[in-house]
Amino acid sequence: MPTFRFFAVVLSITLPVAASASAETAAISPEARQHWAFRRVHCPPVPAIKDAAWLRTPLDAFVLSKLEAKGLRPSPETDRAALIRRVYFDLIGLPPPPDEMERARNDQRPDWYENLVERLLASPQYGERWARHWLDVARYADSKGYVFTEERRYPYAYTYRDYVVAAFNNDLPYDQFIVQQLAADKLPLGADKGPLAAMGFLTLGRRFLNSQPDIIDDRIDVVTRGLLGLTVTCARCHDHKFDPIPTQDYYSFYGVFANSVEPKDPPMLRPPEANAAYAAFEKELKAREEEITRLKVTRTASRIVGLHLPGTAVQIPLAAVNRAFQRADRDKDRALQKRVEQWKATSPLAPPRPMMLEDAPHINASHVFVRGNPGNVGEEVPRRFLAILSPDKREPFHEGSGRLELAKHIASNENPLTARVLVNRVWAQHFGQCLVRSPSNFGLRGDAPANPELLDYLAWRFMEDGWSIKKLHRLILLSATYRQSSEDNEAKRKIDPDNSLFWHMNRQRLDFEALRDAMLAVAGRLEPNLGGPAVELTKEPFSGRRTLYGFIDRQNLPGIFRTFDFACPDTHSPQRFITTVPQQALFLMNSPFVVEQGRRVVAQLHGEPTEARIRHLYQLTYSRDATDEEIAMGKQFLASAADAKLSPWERYAQVLLLSNEFVFVD
Amino acid sequence: MLPMTSINVDRPVTRRELLHRSGMGMGALALTGLMEHAGLLTSSAAAATNPLTPRGPHFPAKAKRVIHLFMNGGPSHVDTFDPKPSLTKYAGKPLPRENLRTERRTGAAFASPFKFKKYGKSGIEVSEIFAKTAESVDDICVIRSMHADVPNHEPSLMLMNCGDARQIRPSMGSWVTYGLGSDNQNLPGFIAMCPNGYPIQESQNWQAGFLPGVYQGTYIDTRHTDIEKLIENIKNNYTSQPEQRRQLDLLQQLNARHQQRRQNDAQIEARIQSFELAYRMQMEAADAFDVSKEPKHIRDMYGPGTQARQILIARRLIERGVRFVQVWHGEGQPWDSHDDIEVNHRRLAQQCDQAIGALLKDLKQRGLLDDTLVIWGGEFGRTPTVELPTPGANQGKVNGRDHNNHGFTMWLAGGGVKGGTVYGATDEFGFAAVENKVHVHDLHATLLHLLGFDHEKFTYHYAGRDFRLTDVYGRVVRDILA
Repeated sequence: MPTFRFFAVVLSITLPVAASASAETAAISPEARQHWAFRRVHCPPVPAIKDAAWLRTPLDAFVLSKLEAKGLRPSPETDRAALIRRVYFDLIGLPPPPDEMERARNDQRPDWYENLVERLLASPQYGERWARHWLDVARYADSKGYVFTEERRYPYAYTYRDYVVAAFNNDLPYDQFIVQQLAADKLPLGADKGPLAAMGFLTLGRRFLNSQPDIIDDRIDVVTRGLLGLTVTCARCHDHKFDPIPTQDYYSFYGVFANSVEPKDPPMLRPPEANAAYAAFEKELKAREEEITRLKVTRTASRIVGLHLPGTAVQIPLAAVNRAFQRADRDKDRALQKRVEQWKATSPLAPPRPMMLEDAPHINASHVFVRGNPGNVGEEVPRRFLAILSPDKREPFHEGSGRLELAKHIASNENPLTARVLVNRVWAQHFGQCLVRSPSNFGLRGDAPANPELLDYLAWRFMEDGWSIKKLHRLILLSATYRQSSEDNEAKRKIDPDNSLFWHMNRQRLDFEALRDAMLAVAGRLEPNLGGPAVELTKEPFSGRRTLYGFIDRQNLPGIFRTFDFACPDTHSPQRFITTVPQQALFLMNSPFVVEQGRRVVAQLHGEPTEARIRHLYQLTYSRDATDEEIAMGKQFLASAADAKLSPWERYAQVLLLSNEFVFVD
Repeated sequence: MLPMTSINVDRPVTRRELLHRSGMGMGALALTGLMEHAGLLTSSAAAATNPLTPRGPHFPAKAKRVIHLFMNGGPSHVDTFDPKPSLTKYAGKPLPRENLRTERRTGAAFASPFKFKKYGKSGIEVSEIFAKTAESVDDICVIRSMHADVPNHEPSLMLMNCGDARQIRPSMGSWVTYGLGSDNQNLPGFIAMCPNGYPIQESQNWQAGFLPGVYQGTYIDTRHTDIEKLIENIKNNYTSQPEQRRQLDLLQQLNARHQQRRQNDAQIEARIQSFELAYRMQMEAADAFDVSKEPKHIRDMYGPGTQARQILIARRLIERGVRFVQVWHGEGQPWDSHDDIEVNHRRLAQQCDQAIGALLKDLKQRGLLDDTLVIWGGEFGRTPTVELPTPGANQGKVNGRDHNNHGFTMWLAGGGVKGGTVYGATDEFGFAAVENKVHVHDLHATLLHLLGFDHEKFTYHYAGRDFRLTDVYGRVVRDILA
């Protein structure tokens, strides 16, 4: 990092400036300013609709008016059991336990559903589910990727993950969530240093062989696509081809991050317990750190001695000696440093520390790299916000690196993108379909929303509601739109085949996390504890922790993750692919994990007659009663002989875990 | 390929159904749109099954599939396919020009310890360590003017595989599988084999990057011969096959009941089919990797050892319709001969030469060489000058060569390439490519051209722009096209 800045500064002095000397960028065209996503969010007038009786929350009017304009009617409300199952998976990513299902189904209160939504929003498992959606945005992983022989594990990445879980559970207003993730170090925090962990959003990306321009590029990308839905990194080598983002704007942001550094010893988030175990941890850590110091001391001493040897040595300049030994020294240093990092990454006693940033001790001016080449330094650009989202006269950032100012510009009611982008992401999770189908590209080439008034209403209301994500959930979940059945209707499908107007609910398939968690849940194996260092999920004995806590090695992500369309942890992920491939089926049919969960489901069954046990099995896996026909099918299957390793019951239970009813949510 | 697919021909397939039937939902919308845009979806029926459905490229092409023999670590071109008599003349003396900068310091000219000989009608000279491969030299186009950007393994591996030294980009196998699908739905479309573990940069070499995970290379550790160790979850160790069939029959019954009330949802249908596909994959995959099914004379032709086995497997895979097979020499960087190049290169070549020669002949006798492109090479070559001792880096034996990105050799065979030709040249000593230079981007452009793609139009829209394997570079080397 210091080397790099040194390089840039020196070159800027010695090289002729390649690009125009004017730091003021060309004015943004009026057409670009008129693009729907760059206009300020206003509350659109509530449209007139015919069927006012259908409305449950204000957003319904926006949906209904579009439907009515096309001569469409909404679908009927789904049945209660389906709605319960839907909202369980949606909010906490787990199936309703049989007794909860029973309770909710028989709840006679008129506000039974509102109560259910409240219960789920208050459950800590809500934060676990929704944090994972955010971790896709944040390209979360527990490792750096390929960095030669360095220790690859981030010892404290989990502190960011746990911070996000808590932020969702506590309904931390989204604007504060943004500011903490970009600049918690600049906030008056008081005693609770917890928010410092939020900056993992910036720091836990891939380390690209420790190449600084690429690390910064990744940070600009996660901030701009993730929070603003703008593809600013397209402007790394030249002005953006489609959007009003001059390359100067990219380097304004570059300057912010080039002037932000990771402290060597970030503060502890929690004081360690003063006990013998911790003392042992510290002793070992000290011992490993001292090895490095000792080596450096002896090395210097031996080199000096070497120089005084008679004959050859005196003739060799110190620089040459150093060069010759450089490689060997570096390897040794790295090996020792790795031992220190390893100890922090593997010891459960290592006190959690935030993966934070702070401003560099000296703030340097930033420059355009002509055609993206750090060796070709162009004009100086001030650190400041994007032209398209600013008035014509822009103030440069004043405080240090400018990270806090950057954060405030993003987390602002004036910003036309931030709220729109977020409500679109939330909507997409609830409905399995976005309002803007390019969720991380709201630029000129992005997809315009089919229902712009609905998007704007949600965005406006979200800000009015103090950027509360839980309030946004309520607005959506309690709507008549959300409560529609997922059934198909041929006539309506002909009019709106993509369901872009939401005339029915989209049936959704469980993603990887929900699928694995649901299996653990029905197997009675799910561990309820929150947070902590990541755990290995793919090896036996299988962990009962939620999939959220699985170790994400971005270098060699276990095949099963991407087989099930897990987000690529290397860059910001706008949305997940949904593919159906036989490797998914192979995992379900053959993996020891699934076989084990099938066994555990059976171990819970009680009741003697076969029929009662089948009923119990259906309750556990599908949260419903088995029909007589299904009981007959089950009995027939169970009449087969036992295999050497699995009983007919265990094979039967596995089939239910494989079935479409288990993985699709109506 | 997929007999289970039912398409109602009485009713036009809507875009939504097409999407759904293709087994892909939300994120796939963009994908399908782009495939249409790029002319990759030739007919709705062809795309109506899954993301690996075979599809046509931009224009008719000879090559249908690829075997990439990756000599990871960097084989020395002056010891294999690029003879340099001047090195013998200058052996032990400094070159008459300054040594180019590589990873480490190098010294005097270092003559090849191996003998070169002319082979075939074309009379192309090849080193004795690749004598068996050389027997097919009339089917080979030797590119002696390759060059890359830096003399380090990691960025060069990334450049060779993904077209970019550091940033996250899909590998060429992923690109090709995305573009063409695969001809066998019972096997992965892109397979990367490497015995004993990963090469340097590990699974990033066959990453799908921002493409869907289905296009990522499936890694196979060919140290194993046991099928369940080769492919994850390919075998059930708990349930006999007849019992598993009964399970799947019950599953189909349950799914059919579930589907009755959920008409016109192709995601549901695709998932039903995926279990039958998986069931068949268990058999087909086991068969594909089992070289004992080959007649003895074929096994003898490839020879003994792991290299022979994995190269023979490569042929069995492409024969079964797998689109892209990458065969890595071994874990880490086996060809990285900083020391003892004579012993090491001879040993390494000995492990694979017979099998590579056999592969070329075998493909030819089966009529597969015409539409299979075989690529041989490393991430770069090696210096014609000897590597000098570097503490902590080599053993200081002064009998090896350093990395060399300035000039190196790769060869192509089959798949519409002009056999029996040499293209381009390095300088007198083999330090740098000087004549008809071919950058790695040019190789990629040519590879895509051979497969029927215009590399400038074969794009994937992501993060606001259209990405290409060749980024903003690449030129098709037309002179090597048959």
